Amino acid sequence: MPDIITVKDLVEVYADGTKAVDGISFNVQEGEFFGFLGPNGAGKSTTIKILTTLLRKTSGSVSIAGYDLEANSREIRKVIGVQSQETSVDPELTGRENMILQGHLQQMKGKELEERVDYLLEVVGLKDAADKRAGRYSGGMKKRLDLASTLVHKPKILFLDEPTTGLDPQSRATVWDYLEELNKKEGITIFLTTQYLEEADRLCQRLCIVDAGKVVAEGSPLGLKKEIAADAITITVENRTGAGDKGITKAAAKSLLSKIPEVMNVVDSEEGLTLYVKNGGLFVPELVRAFDKADIQLISINISTPSLDDVFLKHTGKRIRVEELVKQAPSAMFGRRGR
Amino acid sequence: MALLFDTSYLFMRALKKLVRNPILIFFSLFQPIIFLVLFTQLFHSLNLLPGFPPGVSYLEYASAGILMQNAFSSALQSGTSIVEDLNSGFLQKMLVTQVSRPAILLGRLATDAFRVTVQSVIILALAYALGFRLASGIPGVLVILFIIAFFGLAWSGISLALGLRTKSSETVFGIGAFLTFPLLFMSTALVPLGFMPPWMQNVSRVNPISYAVNAVRDLSIPGFFSLSAELGALVFIAGIAVVTIGITLYLFRKVVS
Repeated sequence: MPDIITVKDLVEVYADGTKAVDGISFNVQEGEFFGFLGPNGAGKSTTIKILTTLLRKTSGSVSIAGYDLEANSREIRKVIGVQSQETSVDPELTGRENMILQGHLQQMKGKELEERVDYLLEVVGLKDAADKRAGRYSGGMKKRLDLASTLVHKPKILFLDEPTTGLDPQSRATVWDYLEELNKKEGITIFLTTQYLEEADRLCQRLCIVDAGKVVAEGSPLGLKKEIAADAITITVENRTGAGDKGITKAAAKSLLSKIPEVMNVVDSEEGLTLYVKNGGLFVPELVRAFDKADIQLISINISTPSLDDVFLKHTGKRIRVEELVKQAPSAMFGRRGR
Repeated sequence: MALLFDTSYLFMRALKKLVRNPILIFFSLFQPIIFLVLFTQLFHSLNLLPGFPPGVSYLEYASAGILMQNAFSSALQSGTSIVEDLNSGFLQKMLVTQVSRPAILLGRLATDAFRVTVQSVIILALAYALGFRLASGIPGVLVILFIIAFFGLAWSGISLALGLRTKSSETVFGIGAFLTFPLLFMSTALVPLGFMPPWMQNVSRVNPISYAVNAVRDLSIPGFFSLSAELGALVFIAGIAVVTIGITLYLFRKVVS
């Protein structure tokens, strides 16, 4: 598959001197579901604004669908659909009117537009609510309308800036479904930014993990996790001497861990100490014995197979964000479809 | 061609929003109507004072001023709409489409002109019910509406520029409310020039509202009409509109790129 987005050494410096994007390079292939994963303030939105012609880049080169970003921004707008972080539908227009207006602005009209709008409203499950004002829609319905309106002109590439932020788990699962279907059935290339690990893990074929305006890791979710090739064990230890400890116990625990040959890596973060070992389950008794011997009290032990967060932790020394993303049973994820 | 179509689509959008929020029209009509009904009764003996044009009732005199008050007080709200689109992300959403850029502003301005015209017709009808008879008849009404729409556009330009600059509806609204009364009272909208103290006369002479009001008044009272004064006022108002809309286009370009 040829590249449909090529970004090289992209830099964005704001007027106040902040370097929001600090030399990012990546390629997205045609038909790919590509993700940009990172915490708030990593430069994800800035990057998407540049790629969608809304913000002028400071330096670097960007080509989209074969067009140069600056020289052919008009041509680029013809082939991209963009959903921004804020849900931007006009609350005083009905769902259908929102869609028709969007089509008009994309230079479509007549029967072709009407049929397209009907089709899309059906796809996102808003057919029955189509003639109600969008202001009366629920948050999830608004998001779906917003998504549908970005598809009116049959874009080749869809840019989604945190498409499920602020949605309840069920709406989120529904949106995920639509996105997967769009990508698989209609072959639309999707560029998505997210701060949710599960979202990136489930949807993206390939992703860039970004932090502080830089790409820290790149690859498929599976490949990135395999890179770690170990289980993650996160422990917390008791703060022995109260407030005066200043991390002495933690330091002792760290030095203890560094002497155990099985431990591949230790990362110190707000949640405690995360160590990586092969066969985490079998290692736990040994871990407990070692701590017992050294007379350091363990408060909690948490074993997990490596997640994208561990990938992030490994590369940046911190976690993305502790965010509860309630897991849904598969049946609930497809719940809307049958109705 | 795309510019024309895009402008009409966005005009229709704004119109639908307006029709679905009639309360907005009510609010901006409220003040002029209070003026029209209460002021003209309260001050109906004003025409007995020396210096007032002889044989003219206060209703006849003040109607032109109230029409103009309506025009600029509603036009001064125009900027809040662009702030709304800026903050909701709708403007961005439009900007990633192929829409012609100037159409976004032109659609807005067309809606403002339309709204001011409709409100003026309502005020004229109410004044008619109170006994106001326009000297120049139907052709005069058309010219008056044209002047008012243009005058409204000039103020819309200011309001949109403020909106783009400050990105705050409250500021746009506040500055609008702040400007309305001083500008209205220091013009010939409600009293003749001779009634004012000398310093206020000087302000009134350069106050754009005076120009517009005089142009409308000349068409509404028998014997006031003069072609040269009429054309002069039109040129003056058009000049202001060109300047304010020019500034708005410039600021808009800066926001867009």
